[in-house]
Amino acid sequence: MSEKMYARLLRLYPSAFRKEYQCEALQLIRDRARDETGLFNKVRLWWDLVTDILTGLPQAYGNSYAVPDAAPQSANAQRVPSFKVLDREPLRPGLILVAGTLSLAAAAAFGFLLSRPIAYLPLPGSNGRMSPIEAVLQRLNRAMDPDSAMGGHRAVATAVSTGTSDPQARPSAMATASAPKPYALALRAENKNGVGMGDRVVPIQMQNLHEQSAERAMAQRAFEAQPQREGQREVGASGNALANGVTDNEHLDSAERQRVLDRAIANVRQYYFDRDIAKNTADKLLAHEKAGDYDAVTDGAVFADLMTRQMRDASGDMHLMMEYSRDKLPDGPPAQTPEDLARFRAFLEQNNCFFRKVEILPHQIGYLKLDLFSEPSICRPTAVAAMAQLNNAKVVIFDLRDNRGGAPDMVSLIASYLFDHPEYWYSPRSAPAEDSWTRSPVSGNNLADKPVYVLTSGSTWSGAEQFSYDLKMLKRATLVGEMTRGGAHAGVFHRIDDHFGIGIPEEKTINPFAKADWEGVGVEPDVKVKAAEALETAVKLAEARLRKP
Amino acid sequence: MPKRKLDPLPSAAFQILLSLADDELHGYAIMRQVEEQTGGRMRLGPGTLYSSIQALLEGKFIEEVDGPVDPRLQPERRRFYRLTSAGRRLARAEAEKMADVLRVARARKILRGDYV
Repeated sequence: MSEKMYARLLRLYPSAFRKEYQCEALQLIRDRARDETGLFNKVRLWWDLVTDILTGLPQAYGNSYAVPDAAPQSANAQRVPSFKVLDREPLRPGLILVAGTLSLAAAAAFGFLLSRPIAYLPLPGSNGRMSPIEAVLQRLNRAMDPDSAMGGHRAVATAVSTGTSDPQARPSAMATASAPKPYALALRAENKNGVGMGDRVVPIQMQNLHEQSAERAMAQRAFEAQPQREGQREVGASGNALANGVTDNEHLDSAERQRVLDRAIANVRQYYFDRDIAKNTADKLLAHEKAGDYDAVTDGAVFADLMTRQMRDASGDMHLMMEYSRDKLPDGPPAQTPEDLARFRAFLEQNNCFFRKVEILPHQIGYLKLDLFSEPSICRPTAVAAMAQLNNAKVVIFDLRDNRGGAPDMVSLIASYLFDHPEYWYSPRSAPAEDSWTRSPVSGNNLADKPVYVLTSGSTWSGAEQFSYDLKMLKRATLVGEMTRGGAHAGVFHRIDDHFGIGIPEEKTINPFAKADWEGVGVEPDVKVKAAEALETAVKLAEARLRKP
Repeated sequence: MPKRKLDPLPSAAFQILLSLADDELHGYAIMRQVEEQTGGRMRLGPGTLYSSIQALLEGKFIEEVDGPVDPRLQPERRRFYRLTSAGRRLARAEAEKMADVLRVARARKILRGDYV
């Protein structure tokens, strides 16, 4: 009986082993059973067999069971390839089933990983301007200096000749810049008194930009984001153009409502990046109209808010928005003359490009108060000089409490100093592109591994929020102060009529950190204190950190 | 390849080599010899025994030989094994290694007795 059972156990051994030694093994058991009689000996025999299975199996599988003769060597000597058959028995059905299941599981897991969002990195050439191969080549050939633009909206200074720009102001990396792409501009709607309306700021799609000077456009873009309290209105022809709106009657009639609705729907269908969601959203709006939901609405702002809510409900996209302005929206980008540009340049230079303070505080704490991320085509030397001044700091504090955003290129340029490798620099406005990475490392820079504190306030906004948000999410900075204002304003603005416009995301953006960005909610600081106390708190934190060994 | 498998030499393989030092033996006799020379501490089961024998064969440390053809003494045909010169060298090297260990153990007063 024990022999039969052992014969079954032997099936655990490799077939080559069984073929070679099964008879001997069984003979050995027979011999032992014959010689070892008595209960104790029988039990001991079985104990030996069980432990033998455990200890002998690995070695049995480790042997090659090749016939130890010289045949393979002679074959090799004649340089004839030889093949060894590992197992002469056909595979068992169970084994095939297990292997098949495992393969399918592996393929499914691979497919699942491929479908993860991080794998979605559209090539910059996918819009047809550049072949994918060209795009990859361009990415490989890109110069590694600290200049980057946000979301592919890279400036094209080298394509421009205005006669006023000095060569120093041109970022060298722009030599590789791609063809002009319509800018998303943040235009500030103003009332007749020239006082900013506060939150009603929407990005404006600036079409036909290729006919204009790109540098002018950049200048205007940064200019429009300047803090109103600077009061430098006389230098901004564009600002004046925007202020020329005339207050109209605020009541909507059904005909205007219908016109606005129709054009909004048409715009969503035409421009929204996902055709299915666009169709669904448009259908929902039509359904609301059919149900008479808009009939009682006569106030433009209420109408815009209602449509915004409904579009967001239908699409789940918080960047879709209907905008209403009591003042007449500008027809398009105002014309700019070289004189305007010169004035703008002089304005930035007078303000030291809004680098308000660059200091080394006691204990080698670097302090930079920056109130605007100015256009790098003009302010790059200033930025480089400021960062060089901070180069020996042990800790850097960026004071963005009065910073209202500005040029994305400058945000990315300064961030480049804080990393020792290209870091993905998330922008809520655009899809990942070849320039969505910081231009790190910056040669000669010592700040890549230094602790960073960012001071925020309720006025910190837009590009300054991007700087804060990205550094926080990358765990590269500690944010000290108040919740920021919450302006990511993604989406491209389409003018519907004098008072209505619609913001539509046209590119699928990828937020690697979370599902939502800071649009409408702000960026939450790590250390919450009043803005007025933020600097003091950050200095204390920095000193405490420096004291640690 | 087989050399690596036997380096370090497993104690079962070493005992098999020792058991074959004087005589050609078949599997069961090897098992009994090993049991005897280890004072009953090591009883090789068929799996361990024949896996070790296979490894030693692949390393050419032992070889198979024809046993005595005496149906009265050996009713079943058995495979006999013999130590090769390489196997003898291997066993000696292993024994010397152990002697070194023994020497150290005695020098450190872990084990009583004379120096080997």
